[in-house]
Amino acid sequence: MASSGIPSGALVILQELDSSSIHFKQGASLRVTGKLQEYNVETAIAVIADGGATLLVDTQHLRLNLREGSIYQFIGELSIQPNNEGLLKARVGRNVDGIDLNLYHQSLKLIRQFQSDQISHLEQLK
Amino acid sequence: MEDTHVKFLAFDLLSLTPSSSTPNSTAVRRISTATATTVLHLSRAETLGIITSRHHKPDRFLRFTIDDGTGCVPCVLWLNHLTSAYFSRRSPPDLRSIAGSARRFETLVQIGASARVRGKVSFYRGEIQLTVSNVFIERDPNAEILHWLQCVRLARNRYDVVVESDDDDKMLLPVNKKAKKAE
Repeated sequence: MASSGIPSGALVILQELDSSSIHFKQGASLRVTGKLQEYNVETAIAVIADGGATLLVDTQHLRLNLREGSIYQFIGELSIQPNNEGLLKARVGRNVDGIDLNLYHQSLKLIRQFQSDQISHLEQLK
Repeated sequence: MEDTHVKFLAFDLLSLTPSSSTPNSTAVRRISTATATTVLHLSRAETLGIITSRHHKPDRFLRFTIDDGTGCVPCVLWLNHLTSAYFSRRSPPDLRSIAGSARRFETLVQIGASARVRGKVSFYRGEIQLTVSNVFIERDPNAEILHWLQCVRLARNRYDVVVESDDDDKMLLPVNKKAKKAE
């Protein structure tokens, strides 16, 4: 059973996702987490927020009951709009009410450092 | 270590290579420093992440991917235990039990769910995959964070412990014993 070729959604904190971020590019696969601030039923566009930063999320392909005030996690591809605003076209979503966002942010830093160290080790083997 | 389900982050799991030297292991992980190399032989692994794809062939298999944010792990759950000749050496009660579990896991695997998956590390057409033996759906959104931290701790303190030695085989033993206790 070979890999399906579906890209992994890179773990990103909303505050990091500005135009200078390495993740802020057309088609980048990302996993984002934030509190649902607004949701437009007609367009299926949601706005999630975390630490003062917000992101638009297109949820048209999801079957989720979205509730304002709840925390959600989405995986999808980033689309840069003409006004240079990011819109995540979500292919997967889930409710993560109860998540410890502070622990999540701290753990992300640890994972990134670990991943960087391991990849350096693997490079040495080549 | 060969019988333990070794916890891995996806990027680490995907870096495993096929094992040919040790009879009971199917994969090898090597980490080198300037002076030594640690080699970990294993056959089973555990991953935890969000199910992001699902391809179902009724009564044959369910293929799916687990995305933990560092990579996507391809998984295959076989559903043909009662019809395939491959399993014919096993006793009918065992087969019925395994087939029943597989049917239950089949319904649990849904896109968007957070799943802890255990299975045998195998290679298909040169790519790594987990042949699923167990699926557990995690309801607590903090479970994935805990899994990340456990993977980092185990890798740093157990899997990657370098023991200086001239003999690769001898070098493995203390590392693997420590890792087994950690599970």
